[in-house]
Amino acid sequence: MTNAVASDLVESAEQVVAAQGVAKSFSGGSVIALQDANFTVKQGSFVSLVGPSGCGKSTLLRLIAGLIEPTQGHIEVHQTQVKRARQDVAMMFQRATLLEWRTAIENVLLPTEIRRTPSSEDKNRAMELLNLVGLGDFAFSFPAQLSGGMQQRVALARLLQTGADILLLDEPFGALDEFTREKLNLELLRIVSEVKATTIFVTHNISEAIFLADEVYVMTPRPGQIAKIVPVNLQRPRELSVQTSAEFNELVAQVRETLGAL
Amino acid sequence: MSNTIDIDKNSTAIKSRGSALNINRVLKHATIFIVLVLAWEIGSRIGWLDPLFFPKPTDILASIFRIYVTQGNVWFHLYASLGLVFAGFIAGSVLGVVLGSLVGFSAVIRRFIKPYVIVLEATPRIAVAPLLIALLGFGAASKIAIIMLVCFFAPFINTLSGVINVNEEKLELFESLGASKFQIFTKLVLPDAIPVIMAGERLALTAALSGVLVAEFIQRDQGIGSLILTYTRNLNMASAFACIFTLTLIGFLIFRGMEWLDNRIAFWNHDDGMTRVGSRSKQRWLKQHGEPQ
Ligand SMILES: Nc1ncnc2c1ncn2[C@@H]1O[C@H](COP(=O)(O)OP(=O)(O)O)[C@@H](O)[C@H]1O
Ligand SMILES: [Mg+2]
Repeated sequence: MTNAVASDLVESAEQVVAAQGVAKSFSGGSVIALQDANFTVKQGSFVSLVGPSGCGKSTLLRLIAGLIEPTQGHIEVHQTQVKRARQDVAMMFQRATLLEWRTAIENVLLPTEIRRTPSSEDKNRAMELLNLVGLGDFAFSFPAQLSGGMQQRVALARLLQTGADILLLDEPFGALDEFTREKLNLELLRIVSEVKATTIFVTHNISEAIFLADEVYVMTPRPGQIAKIVPVNLQRPRELSVQTSAEFNELVAQVRETLGAL
Repeated sequence: MSNTIDIDKNSTAIKSRGSALNINRVLKHATIFIVLVLAWEIGSRIGWLDPLFFPKPTDILASIFRIYVTQGNVWFHLYASLGLVFAGFIAGSVLGVVLGSLVGFSAVIRRFIKPYVIVLEATPRIAVAPLLIALLGFGAASKIAIIMLVCFFAPFINTLSGVINVNEEKLELFESLGASKFQIFTKLVLPDAIPVIMAGERLALTAALSGVLVAEFIQRDQGIGSLILTYTRNLNMASAFACIFTLTLIGFLIFRGMEWLDNRIAFWNHDDGMTRVGSRSKQRWLKQHGEPQ
């Protein structure tokens, strides 16, 4: 390691997640959830994983998060092999998975609490994050007192509280209505650019995938694999109206073609 | 933050419990109750009801006055019974929760113990009561053991199922945060199981009240159960009824008490509980950190 400091530094500024020949099968090899995944994710970029259900999107996120191990190949995060859950990677799920017995702010503080006794600073940071997701007034509400969209905002604040610079989101707003989802997508873009995080976002909605991303990984099932990587060069910050542009529709057609749904 | 979008604030509106007592309903119930009691009274007086088994309500009232005030003998027995109820309940249900947590914690123990749990659950607990007396002899020990026996299972089974049925997604969240097994248990599994444990405790306390009666029916030395037995054997039904109504009141108080406790402990299942704990936690925050901006 010591003799390659310079090149490591250059690399670390570039790619934060790298996968080489990654495959994952379950049930003793009879279910191939993912095969031959190769990609690198650049620091600060936004990647969407799009594909029909069962094509291995969640499996890929779990592999990156270190929740499961690949059966073949290896994954590196910040140039170190992923072996278990790590502090620079954090995950958010389709359901808010808040703890019902904790107030919003106590839920946001959970990641800190698992590492150490939260300091005054940690608590202030949690309150800032709740403000960032627009829930400052609801810091002392319990999950059951919040709507579905508000619960996902708390989950987002909790995700950011981890301090991880790689955020994995598995259909985070998939259970919400269309309007709330669009609203939250816009906020997500604002927030991840504000905290300068690298984001990998799973969805089965093609427009959503393109609208958010710098790169769309199009995944196909049986066996699950990354069929194509589509770069998205739409200008940022993006407005919802970009979705009606010709450029956008061209990207949609490209993704659809890969998915075989055109 | 000015650039965030407004939020549906309705969802925090706490449903009011809306129990401005409906005068009409109360009147209706009171009327029906008075009619029933009057019918009973008249029925006993004119011989429609056998006064031996259905003593006049006025007689029951007189008995209540006697056992509580003039003779005052019920207090001693009540005290004895309730002491046993709480001792047996606490011992039995604490044992149930502790064993339930331990068994739930380890998959190995769980597999090993499961058939025994099924067999024991199918056995009526009271059937074992005479054996316990044979083992422990007459006296408080065997009575408490009987109550423990009837109190043990609901908390045990509920704790076990609460601990086993942890939400997979929450578990995955904790794993992704790098939580230890111990943290998962104390911060997720146990609190998640609290409402169902409380439901078990509620069943256990009700069972304890029946348990003490059975114990006192078998060993007729003291307690409200033996008092009922003595009165019935002496054909003093009015006094027996007075004791039974006492138990009704205790049963009701236990129910209410457990409701109150559930509201304190499993507060997140109650609107008013959440409001109370939420505002207390806000006060605490303000004291430590000042006004949140
Ligand atoms: N723990 C597991 N055990 C067995 N099969 C699994 C497991 N997790 C996922 N799979 C299978 O792997 C495939 C991909 O699953 P998943 O990654 O969840 O897909 P997606 O998130 O794209 O819907 C599916 O066929 C699924 O049934
Ligand atoms: Mg999935």
